This record gives sequence, structure tokens and C-alpha cells, in this order.
Amino acid sequence: MHIPDGFLSVATVASTCVVSAGGIGNAVRVANSKLGEKHVPLMGVLAAFIFAAQMLNFPIAGGTSGHLIGAALAAILLGPWASVLIMSCVLIAQCLIFQDGGLLALGANIFNMGIIASFSSYYLYRSVTSFLGGNGRSKLIGGFIAAWGSVFLASIACAIELVVSGTSPLAVVLPVMAGFHALIGVGEGLITAGVLSFVAVTRPDLLQLQRI
Amino acid sequence: MKHSFLDRYSNLDSFIHKLDPRTKFIIALVFILAVISTPPIRWQVFALYLFFMAALLLLSKLPIFYVLKRSLVVMPFVLMIAIFIPFIKEGEVAGSYNIGLWQVSVTYTGLQVLWNVLIKAWLSILSLIWLTSTTKLPNLLKGLEQLGMPRVMVMILSFMYRYIFVVVDEVMRMRQARDSRDFGGSRLCQLRTIGNMIGTLFIRSYERGERVYAAMLARGFDGHSRTLDRLNFSQADAYFGISFSLVLILTSVVNLLY
Repeated sequence: MHIPDGFLSVATVASTCVVSAGGIGNAVRVANSKLGEKHVPLMGVLAAFIFAAQMLNFPIAGGTSGHLIGAALAAILLGPWASVLIMSCVLIAQCLIFQDGGLLALGANIFNMGIIASFSSYYLYRSVTSFLGGNGRSKLIGGFIAAWGSVFLASIACAIELVVSGTSPLAVVLPVMAGFHALIGVGEGLITAGVLSFVAVTRPDLLQLQRI
Repeated sequence: MKHSFLDRYSNLDSFIHKLDPRTKFIIALVFILAVISTPPIRWQVFALYLFFMAALLLLSKLPIFYVLKRSLVVMPFVLMIAIFIPFIKEGEVAGSYNIGLWQVSVTYTGLQVLWNVLIKAWLSILSLIWLTSTTKLPNLLKGLEQLGMPRVMVMILSFMYRYIFVVVDEVMRMRQARDSRDFGGSRLCQLRTIGNMIGTLFIRSYERGERVYAAMLARGFDGHSRTLDRLNFSQADAYFGISFSLVLILTSVVNLLY
């Protein structure tokens, strides 16, 4: 879902860059005020963690494989603003190190996989767990739904950006992107739930971190 | 373990490598902006941009085969767009084919969309490869900081760059351990294993983050990072950066007028 440069029109690039820059600015401010200077090394190491976790591929269907995006995991464990910060760093590093995603398209990529994925998964998780009563089982179901929803919504945002840029027709790109990512999202959801259950067993205190 | 894949050719010695990261970053940014704002029908202009990029790449002494191979990373995305082309119905039909029971027709508008995306994506990725292969990441981050990127963001990115090697090593060790124990079973079982691995990785990373912070506090960390090496913006930077950007801007302005 990393959009390279050249797929988006100048207007789309400009508007997504403005929104993402504002989002990152606010994330930095919130992290600074809630965590103090501690957030710098912590966010750095956790960004490296998400980066490394994305290297673990899982099989999807017919020989293709996918990997975790990680926004939902970060948002559930650390809160949406921390997740925006971490995902932005991951995406910037992927762009600058592997040319995975374009430089001017970073605005759009951070908007999709950083801002939309983090906030949608955080609020999905909260509403599902509170609806189901907040016990261990509801957290796993919440984690699954939140992670699935984050991938699904991020892919829809990506499709809309491509359509607005005139790169592909709405009637095709939307169902294809959404359908394909609805499938990948299942993997993301199961892994996220797996991570949550593992952390709940080994270090339950890490599920009670202050969320920002 | 080997991590030479990260900024592998940034240690070469060339005129481009000696330029200030800020100059190179601005050139890459202006280049991509010029490329994506060009209308698709102007193939002459794209040829001109390709010529500029080839000149930059030759000046930087990067192995050309490496650059071309690297630029293929955009291909999956281009292919994804390419499968939508037969569905663009407006315009004159360029050709139609029978695939089994399907009648697939390709219009000129569709082909134009594909060409537009292909050439723009390829030129942009070349400039990004040029930028990142001739600049060490820590220097690039320092340049970005002076160009106005928030300090905190730059510090987090520097920490991330420092610990990527450590955490990636950890992932590789875990993966090796898993594979040597026969990573098989049903798909659900495999996902569960990956979940446990990422869970372990999260706990270790979080604890490492806290230890790093404690170690930094013990050494007097006060929220600022101070480094000794400074970037220096030389005369060569000014001449090269300004003239190259002017040529790019001139090309795109002339292109918009005619």
C-alpha cells in the first residue's frame, strides 16, 4: 500500500502533506507533554520494532504473502498519537532506506497508514471492548476487529487518493483495493490478536501503559 | 549479520557525494515536483528529465545496473494500476483482444494513463535512489533538521536508525530459530507463531527502550542531542543547487506555457 511518487496529482500531494504534517506536529506536542523527554528513545526503539516486525511475512493465498502494517498494534498498546509518531518514522525510514513509497507521496502514505489506521483502530478497539464487557476475550476480539478495520480503511483511503488523482477509475480500484485488503486484514487481525494474547500472558502490565 | 543493504554506496567518492545533503534533498524534491506536474502528452519533456537524471547518476558514479535493479521496486504498483487500464472506457479504441470469453478492449486514454504513471513513477524513483545512495542517512537527517523538520522527529528517527540494526538482528535470529524447528502446520498455526514472535519482540523492544533511556539519563541527557560534526554548505553547493533547480524550474515553466 506504499504509494510511489508519480501516482498522485500535485493537488492530492499538497493536501495530504498538509494534513500529515499537522498530524505529526500534534503527535510530537502530545508525546512531549505526556511523556517528557523519555518519549524520544522509547518511540525510536518502538519504531525500529514495528519496522522489524514488518519483515515477518505470512502466507495469504496462492503463493502471495503479506506482512503486518502494525499501526493497530501500536495504537492499541500505546495510544493513537504515539502510533501516528511511530508509523510516520517507519514510513519515512522505509522511503529513505528502501525507496518503499515515494518522497512527495509520504504525505499520503502517512495519512493512510499512520493517521487513518491509528485512529480507526484505536476507536474500534475501545468501542468493541467496552461493548463486549472488557474481559480478556473481548480484548482479543477488539484487537482483531481494530486491526482488520485499520487495514481496510487505509486501503479505501489509498484508493480514493488514486481516483482523485485521475490514476484509476473509481468503479474498479475501490472494490479491488478494498477486497484485497479485506483479505490481508484478516492476517493483520489474527496476528494482532495473537500479540495481545501473548503480552497479556507474559507481561500483562504492558497492556496497562499510559496511552497517548 | 550483514546490513550492507542500507545506504550501501554512500561511501563512494564523487562530486555528488561531497555535496551538502540539503542541496541534494532540494534537488530531488524539485525534480519530483517538476516530473509529477508535467502533462502526460509531453514525451519530449520527460526525455529531457531523463537526460538530467542520467547526468546526475553518472556524476555520482553509482553502478548503473544497481540503480536500474533498485528502480524496479515501483513495478508491482505500476502493474496493479495496469490491470485497471482495460476498464477505462472513454476515448478511441486502440485494440481489442479476446481472452477466453472476455472481450478486452484497450483505449488510447487508458494507455495514456499507464504511460503517465509509468514514466513519472520511474523518474521519481530514480531521483530518490540517487538521493539516498549518495547520502549517509545520519547526514541526511541532519540536513532535514536544518531544513525545518521538527527536532524531536529527527531525534526519534536517529534513534530508530541506531536500533534498526539491533532489532532486525533479533528478528533474524528468531526467524532462524523458528525455521530450524520446522515452521509448518496450518495457516492459523503459522499466524499464531508470528504473533508470539512479534509479542516477544515488543516486550524486548519496550524494555530496551526503557534501559536506553535510563542509561541516557545516567549520562546527563536533558532532551537535546549534541553532535560534533557540522554540515557545510560550500560554494559548489550553491552554484550546483541553484543552477540545477533553475534549469528544472525553467523547463517546467516553458512546458506549461506552450
